[in-house]
Amino acid sequence: MFEWFDRFIDWLKSLFWKEEMELTLVGLQNSGKSTFVDVIASGKYNEDMLPTVGFNMRKVTKGNVTIKLWDIGGQPRFRSMWERYCRGVQVILYMVDSADTEKLEASKQELKSLLEKPHLAGIPVLVLGNKNDLPKALQADELIQALGLKDIQDREVCCYSISCKSKVNLDITLKWIMQHAKAS
Amino acid sequence: MSYHKKDDEHDRNPFTHLEKTTVLQEARSFNEMPINARKCIIILTKILCLVHQGETFGTREATETFFSMTKLFQHKNVALRRMVYLCIKAMSTISEDVIMVTSSLMKDMNSKDDIYRGPAIRALCTVADGTTLQSLERFLKQAIVDRNVSVSSSALVSSLHLLSKGQDVVRRWVNEVQQAANNSTGMAQYHALGLLYHIKQRDRLAVQKLVATQMRNPALSSPFAYCLLIRYASKVLDQDPDGSVNEDIFAFLERCLRHKNEMVVYEAARAIVSVKNVTSRQIAPAVAVLQVFLGSPRPVLRFAAVRTLNKVSITHPNALKSCVLDMETLITDSNRSVATLAITTLLKTGTESSVDRLMKQISSFMHEITDEFKIVVVEAIRALCLKFPQKYPVLMNFLSSTLRDEGGFEYKRAIVKTITSIVENVKEAKETGLAQLCEYIEDCEYPALLTSILDMLGTQGPTTSHPHKYIRFIYNRLILENSVVRAAAVDALTKFGQHCEGVRQSVVIILRRCMLDSDDEVRDRVMFALSILEGGPAADITHMMLTESETEYVVKCTKHAFAEHIVFEYSVTNTLNDQILENAQVVMEGGEQEIDADDVIMIPAPKIEYDQTVSSFVAFPSDPTVGAQTFETRLDFLVRDVDPDTQEVAEDSYEDTYALEDVDLEFADFMQAVSKPNFSSAWSAMQGVAEEADTFNLEAIKSLQDAARNIPSFLGMATCEKSNVVPEDATRHTLFLSGVFVGNIPVLAVAKLAFDQGVSMELAVRSENEDLCTLILQSVA
Repeated sequence: MFEWFDRFIDWLKSLFWKEEMELTLVGLQNSGKSTFVDVIASGKYNEDMLPTVGFNMRKVTKGNVTIKLWDIGGQPRFRSMWERYCRGVQVILYMVDSADTEKLEASKQELKSLLEKPHLAGIPVLVLGNKNDLPKALQADELIQALGLKDIQDREVCCYSISCKSKVNLDITLKWIMQHAKAS
Repeated sequence: MSYHKKDDEHDRNPFTHLEKTTVLQEARSFNEMPINARKCIIILTKILCLVHQGETFGTREATETFFSMTKLFQHKNVALRRMVYLCIKAMSTISEDVIMVTSSLMKDMNSKDDIYRGPAIRALCTVADGTTLQSLERFLKQAIVDRNVSVSSSALVSSLHLLSKGQDVVRRWVNEVQQAANNSTGMAQYHALGLLYHIKQRDRLAVQKLVATQMRNPALSSPFAYCLLIRYASKVLDQDPDGSVNEDIFAFLERCLRHKNEMVVYEAARAIVSVKNVTSRQIAPAVAVLQVFLGSPRPVLRFAAVRTLNKVSITHPNALKSCVLDMETLITDSNRSVATLAITTLLKTGTESSVDRLMKQISSFMHEITDEFKIVVVEAIRALCLKFPQKYPVLMNFLSSTLRDEGGFEYKRAIVKTITSIVENVKEAKETGLAQLCEYIEDCEYPALLTSILDMLGTQGPTTSHPHKYIRFIYNRLILENSVVRAAAVDALTKFGQHCEGVRQSVVIILRRCMLDSDDEVRDRVMFALSILEGGPAADITHMMLTESETEYVVKCTKHAFAEHIVFEYSVTNTLNDQILENAQVVMEGGEQEIDADDVIMIPAPKIEYDQTVSSFVAFPSDPTVGAQTFETRLDFLVRDVDPDTQEVAEDSYEDTYALEDVDLEFADFMQAVSKPNFSSAWSAMQGVAEEADTFNLEAIKSLQDAARNIPSFLGMATCEKSNVVPEDATRHTLFLSGVFVGNIPVLAVAKLAFDQGVSMELAVRSENEDLCTLILQSVA
């Protein structure tokens, strides 16, 4: 009964100050994707997480921007599905566990094959080196080196070293994301 | 009717003529930003319609659509979210990678919003595979005992589905399910009880215990749960009729008869009247409540009650005396199904005087009811006609008009079966019934019915006053019908020819015309029939295989018994493409009988090429007095090799021998099984000719049924008057046997069997030849 009224309000809102954006969060399992979503959305850090089976979607409102966050499982059987959820989004977030040096090569290969997909050409990528609170964690420049990010020429690429646990650099990450919302 | 018409013209259903490709094209808008909820709901509805209308989806297009659909997750529109859950369930079996939605559904299932939790659980269980189920276990166990009924119900029903997939995990949740059964209310209680039963159903004692506990459960409140429990209780009674729970269950069922919900009362009443070996006194309270339902203003209750009472009328007709008046008022019920059942129940319970009135009543609306109910009527008439044979004119008249009406196979079969059983059991109705069936076969579209009617004409027709009346109807089948029916018609005519001297010549003339029939089977039967009717020399033909069917040479033996000689025909098939057999002769050795070598006639098969069958013969004087004998046989022949590619034949040949199975010659080989339609008159007609009798203990035979199978086949005689059928619990039985011995000597025998630890038989044999009678008794000893 009030549906038309709601729609009218929505329309008004979007006319003046609301923006909506969609971004997809991928990366190998156990790199901290679902944790990142939780921290961004609710500010709560949770040590005990279940592996994501499939995907999770979360809507986060920051200022006048509503962000639709697609958090896709990182286990090998879900990697072939990453591309489907990256199509048409404004930004791809690529999460890396910067303290797990053994998995860096695999992470590099998965990123490379994802960005080769023709449907995803030109979509900006933000690589996040998570867990920089751990002693052995690589710094941002080391990560750029290890993942060969300099070789990516066909799109905007950025890399931050963050920690969801100690909430380091989350502010600049969000700021980068919001800028891309405005750009669209 | 008028409602549908209106529907067609004005209110066209927008979902009836959907194009799959168009709908899938539209489904792409699921990816649009922002989501248009109203549009998406309509598209999802269309997809659901397609799936449920049986449209087939390719795996690729289904998967594509499924993934587009996942973009609609977490929308704040309630209707859209619930449509998404429904579509996930519908697509879960046709799309790939449905596991993708697991985490999202788990989130919904644990959300604070109760409205999403139930549907999310149901959708989740359809996409879960073995490995994910392990991680779901904790949440599902919680959901089963959730305070919210819809959540608990959803978890219970989903568990039931998982159980049928053979998941052992569900069995581990039995404590939670038990808890739900005891504490929850409404639907969840019903679902919990159902799940408990399915978890335990393979363990009879566990089911017994479950029923016993639940019968005493004070929290049991849902009427559905009550109905379910009543059904499980009747199963326990059924499987354990003398068990200790018996009395408790009966007390519980009677308690349910006083329940405030009509559904429970009905279910209990139905359970009580369907208990095996229940007494009239025990069903009285159940009949009483059903009687009350007969007067209910709700048609469904009247229908249920009258339908159940209809079944009771078969087992306990006297228990229904008190309901007669109530059922009389239902005869004119506006619901024809109720009226039909009321009338047929009254027919079964009523008196002879009410038959005419009831038949008139039912004829008035026979054309308004479905075949299923027409069958109920027809079967009631069968019972009635056997009960009140004097009423046959009105009943047969009714049946004949139903036979002319439109109707499906099952209905027509019921009518034919009823007429057949009346013809067999009510002497006065016999000729009327046969005439009706003859009229029916002139215009019957079901071959299965035609063959059974022809068989019945062959059995019953020859003993009527004017057998020739039926020949014309059977002859028409020979001209007009397919080969199966023609073969049956040949058999029927043969029986007329055998038993009625008066029509034998006409039958032979008709059969001769069929010798060129296009079908093998029909021709074979015609030849066989003519050989019997024209009194040809061949007394008996039996076939046996002497090799396995897949060997180099396949040999089949056919025995022809003549008055003086026995002829063994060996048909030899050569299955080797690189050999030609020449001068192939089957040689017989051994046997009890002393035969002068000069009396044995042997004819070899001169030449057998690849894939050809040629016969070799052995004949010698027959002596049935020798009894059973066995001959060792072998095939002697010359082989000439052939090149299978060039077909070049070798110049040289060499001798070879091929061992065959033994050939038996038994007493039965000299006897031809020829049935007598009226055995007792044939038996009395033979009075005064030779008769011999003796008593035997049949040690090798274990039961009367065994005896009824083995004795006729041992003697090679036919059983008459359906005496081959022995009732299950009989201790005495009489077989009527008839046959023709070589030399065209009719033989009749009466075997009185008694069972007491072993089978004993008093066998009396009558024939024109005294020696033959003695011989038969000797062969048995």
